[in-house]
Amino acid sequence: MTQSITTPRGAVAPQDDAASEALLTCEGLTKRLRSGEREITVLDGVDLTVRAAEFLAIVGPSGSGKSTLLGLLAGLDRPTSGSVKIRGEALEAMDEDALALMRRGSVGFVFQSFQLLGNLTARENVVLPMELSGFPDADARAEELLAQVGLGDRGHHYPSQLSGGEQQRVAVARAFGPKPALLFADEPTGNLDSESGARVLEMLLGLRDELGTALVLVTHDLEIAEGAPRAIYLRSGKVEREETR
Amino acid sequence: MSAGSAGKPGVRRALLALMRRESRGARGRLFFMTACLALGVAAVTGVAALVAAVDAAVSRDARSIIASDVSVESRRELPDDLGERLDALGVAAVADVVEMGTMVRDEAGESESVLAELKAASELYPLFGQLVTLPAGVSAGALAEDELIAAPELMAQLGVAVGGRVSIGGKTYRVAAELVDEPDRVDFAMTLGPRVFVSNQGLARTGLVQFGSRVKYKRQVKIREGATAADAAGLVADLRANVEDAPYLTFKTFDRPSPGLARALDRISSYLGLVALLSLLLGGIGVAQVVRAWLGSRTPAIATLRSLGFRPREVFAAYFGHVLGLSLIGCLIGVAVGLCAPLLVAALAPDLMADGPGSVQWSAGGRGLLLGLGTAAVFSLPPLTAVWQVSPARVLRAEASPLPAPKSVRVLSTAALILGVFFFAYVQTGRWLPSLAFTGGLALLVLLLSGAALAMSRLALKVPRTGLGFTLRHGVAALARPGAGVIGAAVALGLGTLVVLALGIVGSRLEEELVNGAPPDAPTVFLVDVQPDQWEGVQEIMTSEGMVNIDSTPVVMARMSAVAGRPIQELVAEGAGGRNRWTLTREQRLTWAEELPGGNTLIEGQLWSDPDASELSIEAGFAESLGVGMGDTISFDAQGIPMTFLITSVREVDWASFRINFFLLVEPGTMQGELGWRLAAARIEPEREAALQSRIVEQFPNVGVLRIRPLLEKVAATLGRIALAVRLLGGFTVLVGIAILAGAVAATSLKRGGEAALLKSLGLTRRGVAGLFAIEYGLLGLVAGAFGGLGALLLSWAFLHFGLQLPGLPSVASVPLAAVGTALLAVVAGLAASAKPLRASPIDTLRA
Repeated sequence: MTQSITTPRGAVAPQDDAASEALLTCEGLTKRLRSGEREITVLDGVDLTVRAAEFLAIVGPSGSGKSTLLGLLAGLDRPTSGSVKIRGEALEAMDEDALALMRRGSVGFVFQSFQLLGNLTARENVVLPMELSGFPDADARAEELLAQVGLGDRGHHYPSQLSGGEQQRVAVARAFGPKPALLFADEPTGNLDSESGARVLEMLLGLRDELGTALVLVTHDLEIAEGAPRAIYLRSGKVEREETR
Repeated sequence: MSAGSAGKPGVRRALLALMRRESRGARGRLFFMTACLALGVAAVTGVAALVAAVDAAVSRDARSIIASDVSVESRRELPDDLGERLDALGVAAVADVVEMGTMVRDEAGESESVLAELKAASELYPLFGQLVTLPAGVSAGALAEDELIAAPELMAQLGVAVGGRVSIGGKTYRVAAELVDEPDRVDFAMTLGPRVFVSNQGLARTGLVQFGSRVKYKRQVKIREGATAADAAGLVADLRANVEDAPYLTFKTFDRPSPGLARALDRISSYLGLVALLSLLLGGIGVAQVVRAWLGSRTPAIATLRSLGFRPREVFAAYFGHVLGLSLIGCLIGVAVGLCAPLLVAALAPDLMADGPGSVQWSAGGRGLLLGLGTAAVFSLPPLTAVWQVSPARVLRAEASPLPAPKSVRVLSTAALILGVFFFAYVQTGRWLPSLAFTGGLALLVLLLSGAALAMSRLALKVPRTGLGFTLRHGVAALARPGAGVIGAAVALGLGTLVVLALGIVGSRLEEELVNGAPPDAPTVFLVDVQPDQWEGVQEIMTSEGMVNIDSTPVVMARMSAVAGRPIQELVAEGAGGRNRWTLTREQRLTWAEELPGGNTLIEGQLWSDPDASELSIEAGFAESLGVGMGDTISFDAQGIPMTFLITSVREVDWASFRINFFLLVEPGTMQGELGWRLAAARIEPEREAALQSRIVEQFPNVGVLRIRPLLEKVAATLGRIALAVRLLGGFTVLVGIAILAGAVAATSLKRGGEAALLKSLGLTRRGVAGLFAIEYGLLGLVAGAFGGLGALLLSWAFLHFGLQLPGLPSVASVPLAAVGTALLAVVAGLAASAKPLRASPIDTLRA
């Protein structure tokens, strides 16, 4: 399944000094998992830097360690060794509470399987992270974001009443609600048909451009990766190559 | 990125919104969860209110036995400051009663005088219960000064009928009515003769109450509507402290009205405590299992919340708040059930609530509400720690390993549970030791059940699977798979089995004991003052009138002259014991027997074990009131003959047996039979009682015939009602227990939909999947039921032995029965809960 990028606004490169400072760095990031008696190295010594407002694609085939890397970078998971810093603060030194506070203040997510809360309406899903981070006028902003993703009249619907593409657009609106500095997207179009996927991607990149959010996007789709100014290619848990356009 | 943001109003708003919105969607699951929570909490609140209602009904019965909340009694005129103090305390009502022995004869003086028990009562008598007369509605307090109410046996002895006249103290009285029943007469041990009621003016008219007369004065007090045992005890404590002559007063409270019923009331009180405690456990199991299953189904949502920046403690707060909200609904349902319970009981079992359902038990409702909420809170804590275990990485990989919950969280939730259980147990029982034993025993059983479940899981892993059929192999294997929740389910099932079985065993044993409390072969007639030369003739009449279970014993009346070497006059003069003055100076009934009479138990010494002494066996309570014990002596003056006895044994007497029993039993051969008379007791058909009475009066006019059938029937009715209460309460709790057990199994099977779909997609038939599940649930139920049954056996034995002092061992056969029963219940409930996924198309479930 491939998608085409009709408006590759994601290819905007950081222009000023503030934008070029490192927002996220990781060094020697390694993750090993135990499977029965065996230990599998899922990620092996990855070094990476993401600058403010940058759009980075992480590309690789299934099982290459893309999602694991994203989980570690976002503080969702703990590395076996290595270090991740967001705005200079080492995630490995943080406990679960501190990690949650870090995510609340700085990070947004779009997941492959949407991960909307089924008992909340679309609008409530969007409002939730803004309420959590004390964002002013959360309701108005949620309306605005839903309108931007083309769901202005669907805010009162529950996720089960929306199509997959619509659910993912709600997830995009939710992710941008608190205006995070950094947004992680894990195969955001992976569960969608090509048309819906293209629309979701367009909205994701449009909002990123508008807000100047750094985006780390994990995909196995080379066409999507080619739309990013910088891409790293993973194979068997290692960085195979890095391309900058 | 600051920790301070947690306290921002925005976070609080988000948490509240989450808490509220958690109720949306998945209505079926929510209904199931609320129902289980409601059932769990209703077990606590409903039983609390039912216990209060039953307690109130039993208390009403008990009150009618002393016709008051508190009866203040004395052998001298009641002091003035007693009335002043009662006025100052603002009690609801008082009634004065005076009792004394007197001789009654017919007006013409043609018949023999009969020793009767005269009772004068003021207008408000009886404060509780009813004075039943023929013709109906004659009140003792409203009698004219020359009228009386007489017992039928007295009328028969004197040969008078209603409207006839009798003479007391030289004054003539008209018999206004025949006495059918009086409320406050259950203790017949001290009965002098048949009853005669007069008004206070009527008593004054006899002129019999003079200095030195043996008169018993009673002031019966109604404290307020629905006074509790604690109120009664409080009033007694106040009077003891503030009434100057309190040492000369005896206080009876409604909760300990007579030796015959005190034990039954004690037992029902202990039983109600056990039911209340076990209902607490039942509620807790229900709540814990449901919360565990519910959180299991919410894992993806929790991971999403964590990825959005919610801290574990915030997710915990939201879910805890949600549980409390649902529990509040459960509590309100439980309280409503509880408050309606007396109405329901009154409708279903009118015998239990002879005086109607009584007032609404608001206090029990409030207490149940708090207990229910508290139970839900502490029992939901351990399963809610799962919030910390959900890895936010689950949003990326469903198989992400769970995180360990912080040690502080685990320790705090366990400590809160243990302290909570102890606290609520204390609230339920009001006693430290049983609360501590309950909490400790429970902790031990949970450990045992967890150990058994773990061992079963390990065994299932190691058991060789070759040779087992497909269904059996996979059913056994399912018990060993990680995350099967075997331990939680086994603990819930085991504890539920314990509650149901323990209540069944204790309830049926108590019921059996209560039904036998007024034995069917108990005597209904006592014959007093039978002279030695009359005994043969009296026996003939008894036999020819068809009397059965004839028991008789010689009686010698004697006064004590010295106790432990100190002359009685000296003890009386120094006011030794104060209120025991009557005990010291009254005539005592002595008898002798070669062997220990039935219903007696030796608690110290041996019967007739000292060949060098004249021995005396004394009843324990009587010894205590005299202040004597083993090795002390008591001297008597038996119709001018001095005698001294050495106490060589102390007995406990089962006064509830209604048989002839004595405080003092002397060694055979130490007294002359010619000195005394014979007391006989036997059972006779009710329709022949009058004929017996006539023949005895005719041939032996000095012999008193005491008919105690009304008293027996009163006790039997009260015990019967208590037994009914036990059956009802036990039945209700057992039913709730079974429902919760079924709910616990069903909750664990909710998450089996995916598994059922996968197995079906692999080609297994629905019957095959059902068989596989049945094996798993059955084995789980078998092990949990066996351990729960064993726990129930131990608990019921300990409770029967130490709590109720009832002998005997519960049947060990109940353990395998419990195991099989739990296994069957687990299979039925588990399959019922899995019915939907079993029916559904696999693709629907796998796509969802």
